[in-house]
Amino acid sequence: MKILLAEDDFASRKFMDKYLSQYGECEVTVDGEEAVDAFMMALEDGEPYDLICLDVMMPVLDGYQVLKAIRDIEEEKKIPKENRAKVIMTTALNEERNVKMAFELGCEAYSGKPIDVEKFEKVLKKLGLI
Amino acid sequence: MAEEFSTDGMLDMFLYESGQLLEKLEGIILEKKDEECFDDADINEIFRIMHTIKGSSGIMMYENITKVSHKLEDVFYYLRESHPDNVPHLELVEKVLIVSDFITGELDKIKDGNEADGSETAILEDLDEFLNRIKGEIKEQGIRLPKENKHEEPSQFYIAPVASEDSHFYQITIHYRNDTQMSNLRAYSATYALKEIAENLLYTPEDIITNEESAEVILAEGFHMLLQTKSSKEDVIKLIDSSEAEKIDFEEITAAEYGKGLTEIAQEEAPIIINLDDDKPEVKEEKKAPMPGDYVVKAKETGKGKTLAKNQPKQQSIISVNVEKMDALMDLIGEIVIAEAVVLQNPDLKVPGLELSNFYKASAQLSKITTELQEVIMSMRMMPLTNVFQKMKRIVFDVSRKLGKDIELEVIGENTEVDKNIIEHISDPLMHLVRNSVDHGIEENVEDRTALGKPEKGKITLEAKNEGGKVYISVKDDGKGLKKEKLYEKAKNNGLIGNKEITDFTDKEIYRFITLPGFSTKEVITEYSGRGVGMDVVVKNIQSIGGRLEIDSKEGFGSEMTLVIPLTLAIINGIVVQVGQSSFVIETASIKEFVRLSEDAIVKEPNGEEYIVLRGECYPFIRLNERYQLPDSQGKVDNGIVVVLEHEGQQVCILIDRLIQEQEIVVKPIPSYVKKVKGLSGCTQLGDGSIALILDIAGLIQGEERG
Repeated sequence: MKILLAEDDFASRKFMDKYLSQYGECEVTVDGEEAVDAFMMALEDGEPYDLICLDVMMPVLDGYQVLKAIRDIEEEKKIPKENRAKVIMTTALNEERNVKMAFELGCEAYSGKPIDVEKFEKVLKKLGLI
Repeated sequence: MAEEFSTDGMLDMFLYESGQLLEKLEGIILEKKDEECFDDADINEIFRIMHTIKGSSGIMMYENITKVSHKLEDVFYYLRESHPDNVPHLELVEKVLIVSDFITGELDKIKDGNEADGSETAILEDLDEFLNRIKGEIKEQGIRLPKENKHEEPSQFYIAPVASEDSHFYQITIHYRNDTQMSNLRAYSATYALKEIAENLLYTPEDIITNEESAEVILAEGFHMLLQTKSSKEDVIKLIDSSEAEKIDFEEITAAEYGKGLTEIAQEEAPIIINLDDDKPEVKEEKKAPMPGDYVVKAKETGKGKTLAKNQPKQQSIISVNVEKMDALMDLIGEIVIAEAVVLQNPDLKVPGLELSNFYKASAQLSKITTELQEVIMSMRMMPLTNVFQKMKRIVFDVSRKLGKDIELEVIGENTEVDKNIIEHISDPLMHLVRNSVDHGIEENVEDRTALGKPEKGKITLEAKNEGGKVYISVKDDGKGLKKEKLYEKAKNNGLIGNKEITDFTDKEIYRFITLPGFSTKEVITEYSGRGVGMDVVVKNIQSIGGRLEIDSKEGFGSEMTLVIPLTLAIINGIVVQVGQSSFVIETASIKEFVRLSEDAIVKEPNGEEYIVLRGECYPFIRLNERYQLPDSQGKVDNGIVVVLEHEGQQVCILIDRLIQEQEIVVKPIPSYVKKVKGLSGCTQLGDGSIALILDIAGLIQGEERG
């Protein structure tokens, strides 16, 4: 599985990178813009990401903007629903309105920080990624 | 801790919404339990409630709740699609209640910060069996089975963060020695060390690395940090490099203070707060480009609108407010009332020859508005008793079924509104009274009822009404009633009343025996009542909110227990009196009379206790100046006034020097740094700014009995 991780905080990034690497090849960006670039690039190369983990509070573009951009691009390229990237937001902003918004923008899961690894794995299973 | 404060808004919302839905569900069920079957609207509603709970618990990943609600949704799906006849209604009611209890239980576990680990298999099997029977029924009636209820797996998930309930919150301030070089870098290394263990760390000044001038700020004001971590105080201190520090202030604070502390520091020192773990959205969001903010608002509206439309179509014009905020507002308005009195009764106004007509006009306007303000805040805090009464319906249903009694519950006045604080306090006592009525009140054998010409079905009436600033809630049954002789015997055998004859007591006094600690008339103790603790606890709870319990009964025809409760706790009507230089307030309702007496009316016992004989009755007598050591009072009965006070049928007389006036009193608790004094329940501020203590009559009487 191909994973994209966008996270600006070093400690979180290190942890997530290590954790996610057990499931597949994990590529890392440190801000939102880079994440969108990476997504585009992978799409053009014909090797899109299966899973994208987005932090919400990131420089340049925040997680919501990245999520929206990703979904917009997929829409435009008419990628069928089942082939779209699965997106998990990872953030400590777990107020209801933030979560609802993320769901509406089309993410698959919303994970509060600190991350509950056990449940995270469950979700990956439910999403059919592992 | 977890109940008071949870950082997880999503979880709160889930718990809140599911709780509301379950309440609604129970409402429907109990309302329709005695009917033949549910009508279409109910079936639709229950289906919808289960569907919503299934969906949201799926997102929140509580699988056992999802499975159970899914199964019940299935049952109602078939009911909705095929309208089968002969559905065992009572059984269905029970199934729904079992499911609702299960989910409520799981939600409680989650609320307390535990895992929702209840096993759902038994319920699922039970429901499956039931569902199959219904399906069989449907087939038998020759109706085609509808398509399988399509179950969509939730496609979105919310992963709650690892429980942060056991986090500690610390406020740390490091003061460096004045000659410390580059204190900003030292501060940074401190934050760096703490980052290891921090779940969240805020500090100020923020720009310690880039701005060298921050070093001076740190030297002058200290370096402030707010830390959220699981580590203990000792571990945290070890991590901080204290070599150049002059002093480290270290204080554990509550989660609420943690949130507050941040803003307080922010106010003090302008916009310089950084957030390392992205934990406080408000702060950092504002600092970013405005774009994300726009999103938040937009999405909030659509998101919110959707939930409301889905769950509570009628409540769109209602917002929910944190009770703490309401309490704060209530408190502030209390302060305004006091401040108003301080202004209007200001001694400066008493200078002779002042032209004050304009002042009085303006002050009349002010008084009007403050009164209205009081009324509005009171009405905002008022909640109907509906929810409490609903619980009672459930209890009557459960207990009467278990005991095999046929009982009808009549509810009158469930829309009566009471202060929220009071609702919280009466739920348990009321539950007790209702249980008692079902268990002890209504006869076990139907023959006992028919012999007296009563209908076979027992009846319990739950009634609430609002009269003269008090709320009356009564639980009435048409059962056995209380047997005076039996109560008397029992009280005597338990040594609760000494050697007095039964004729020494009035009926009401005898009924009151059941509220004595250690009294239980029922020989057989049942699951529901009769352990001998109970009625005394009920009375204690009710007294703690300034209410009382009235008992009335007619042997063979039933009993009535009435809770009389004040509408609100915060403002009372009181009379201000003076003893020496001190002012006291007595609640007007508890004053029986004022009398002037001469010293001869006092009877002094050898042990120092004093009594007053008034019109042939004897009352305990307390000289307030002696009780509270007020030397500047003359304490002579001839010059003072004797006040006769009554509480719960007991009287006591107190001696005061002077009456001042009657007024609305805003009750404030006695600050915690003052030792608790018997006979005083609170304090208030008077018009001239002085403090008056509020007398607690029950405390005075108790103190007298003990003394």
